Amino acid sequence: MLSIRDLHARIGARKILKGLDLEVRAGEVHAIMGPNGSGKSTLASVLAGRDGYEVTAGRVEYDGRDLLALAPEERARAGVFLAFQYPVEIPGVNNAYLLKAALNAIRRERGLPEVDAFEFLALVRGKMQLMQMDESFLNRGVNEGFSGGEKKRNEILQMAVLEPRLALLDETDSGLDIDALRVVANGVNSLRSPDRAVVLVTHYQRLLDYVEPDVVHVLYDGRILKSGDKSLALELERRGYDWVRQEAQVA
Amino acid sequence: MTAAGPVEHYREAFAALAARDDAAAERSAAFERFAALGFPGPRDEAWRYTNLRRLESRRFAPTDAAEAAVVSLPSPLAPHRLVVVDGRLRRDLGSSGLPAGVSVRSLAEARSAGLSVAALLRVPAGGGTERFAALNAALCPDVLFLEIADSALPEAIELVFVPGASEGSMQHPRLVVRAGRGSVARLVLRHSGDDAERLVNVVVDVEVGPDAALHVYRLFEPGERTFHIERLEATVGQRGTVFVHDAQLGAGLARLDLNARLAAPQAAAELTGLFLADGSRHLDTQVRADHLDVGTRSLQDYRGIAAGRGRAIFNAKAIVHPGAQQSEARQSSRNLLLTPGAEIDTKPELEIYADDVKCSHGATTGQLDAVALFYLRSRGLSETEARSALTRAFAGAVLSRMDHEAFARVVRDTLDLRLARLLETRP
Ligand SMILES: Nc1ncnc2c1ncn2[C@@H]1O[C@H](COP(=O)(O)OP(=O)(O)O)[C@@H](O)[C@H]1O
Ligand SMILES: [Mg+2]
Repeated sequence: MLSIRDLHARIGARKILKGLDLEVRAGEVHAIMGPNGSGKSTLASVLAGRDGYEVTAGRVEYDGRDLLALAPEERARAGVFLAFQYPVEIPGVNNAYLLKAALNAIRRERGLPEVDAFEFLALVRGKMQLMQMDESFLNRGVNEGFSGGEKKRNEILQMAVLEPRLALLDETDSGLDIDALRVVANGVNSLRSPDRAVVLVTHYQRLLDYVEPDVVHVLYDGRILKSGDKSLALELERRGYDWVRQEAQVA
Repeated sequence: MTAAGPVEHYREAFAALAARDDAAAERSAAFERFAALGFPGPRDEAWRYTNLRRLESRRFAPTDAAEAAVVSLPSPLAPHRLVVVDGRLRRDLGSSGLPAGVSVRSLAEARSAGLSVAALLRVPAGGGTERFAALNAALCPDVLFLEIADSALPEAIELVFVPGASEGSMQHPRLVVRAGRGSVARLVLRHSGDDAERLVNVVVDVEVGPDAALHVYRLFEPGERTFHIERLEATVGQRGTVFVHDAQLGAGLARLDLNARLAAPQAAAELTGLFLADGSRHLDTQVRADHLDVGTRSLQDYRGIAAGRGRAIFNAKAIVHPGAQQSEARQSSRNLLLTPGAEIDTKPELEIYADDVKCSHGATTGQLDAVALFYLRSRGLSETEARSALTRAFAGAVLSRMDHEAFARVVRDTLDLRLARLLETRP
């Protein structure tokens, strides 16, 4: 579904991704772990199409299409969703408005009829229950005045409503208490299906107790240094990242 | 000034109109005031950013002729409506009857009721638009004198100002409002028009009595070939409040002086609004609050949007005069440039001559937040949708203050339409 080959990207003069390879198949959950500053958010931003990043080499295929050639909204409509590490507060743009406009943009792309206000509300109510969010959030500005945990839940709510084929979650678990973590994990698990894929960027193997990954990768200094199964996450938790770097140098 | 100069043109127009009513002395005095002040010179600080050469070069014709046959009217925004064509009330076009406690009279009617003609043709002193207010007093075909009785709580009234005469004409509508003690009223002032070239020179002279609240919802819509000058002056009595909700969405060249004189203890003014300088519009808005007595309060809060070759000037001034202790003045001006060629100059000014006062001001000018824009697009919204959502959000704080449902809807819809048009035509 997602195939990244030798991806190099920089911000200004600063090289951040330095030959990154990643292969994600439909139905899989991948976890990407790595120390601060290793390029995890940069990867997520490049995949979502954020301005300011220059891809200097490599390519990214999504469902056989050249993902990097698409505008951010085209990627979203094609089923790519990024849960932001730092969700943006947008006062004055109503949460419900955004959800409905986004849902209908995606439905149009899929050749489905737009949902009306009634169908929309019924759909969102169900998803909000799943996320244990109060309905009053709908009528507030996007993330406006939300606590850190509420912002993360709101990202997952959007994901649950939009039902992306490829979900990228950038440290959605950071700063969550254990109850919130369970709720977020529930949201992710409810999305799992044979024709969807999830990429979780995380620092902690804690989340992986609830969302079981098929593959765990270590991203270090702009490259994937090591990949393995779930036990790799446990090992990283125990031993840190240095040994991975040393092992890679030896090899 | 040469004999063929602009003032002489207006003098001829004035001479041709003479002897319309019994206010010859007041009108002559007003005209001489205009002639003495003339058009602003190049070093006139009040006209620093707005050049009137183009207006000076035009020879607009007065419209004192027969009443125009056909005018097109927008759909009503309030239960009661008064229609003013070329500065004259057209009773045949408005709604029948006015709410209890409200009367509207012409200059002649007011005069035969023993009211002072001089007061109705008063020229507000000072500021960059005194000259045009004087010209209005000289040339206005009539005065609309709208009176709200003491303690009256009438339903909302809409006044629609429309030009009847076509290309090359000038209108000088004059509205005088007296809101009696303890009254609460809502007036919608809607200036509509078309794409003809003309001058619309408005005076709105308001007096808000003690304990009264007057809400003015002002919408200016005519096309880009309209020259628009307006003096809206409100004098507020003890514990009275004037609320002005302004939407300057029209004109090619506009200058609005919006003044509140807080002349008695605890008088208050909320002067808020927005302007949209798209296309090649030049919109100059000058808001001023004079705190003349103790415990007076003012709020000046505007949002400005410019795009294309649009240019806007927003100048907010609050003056706390000596002795106006325990007064409070708040100013906020936020401005949004949607495209690189657009320009907005904003200047909040506070002049404080009392020591026990609370004042705050802030002014910003910027572009749409790139991070928010990306966030919305990453959810599937097109760039146009995202930009328009953020622009509406920007205007939202002022829009949500417009507590007149139908008025707010028209402003919102007009804004949406214009934003959609200008965002879609972006390269
Ligand atoms: N806008 C920027 N300009 C310059 N450097 C940046 C910018 N954003 C991130 N970086 C740098 O790029 C590197 C990778 O950042 P990031 O992708 O956010 O890492 P991670 O998400 O793995 O913590 C870091 O060294 C960071 O300081
Ligand atoms: Mg990060």
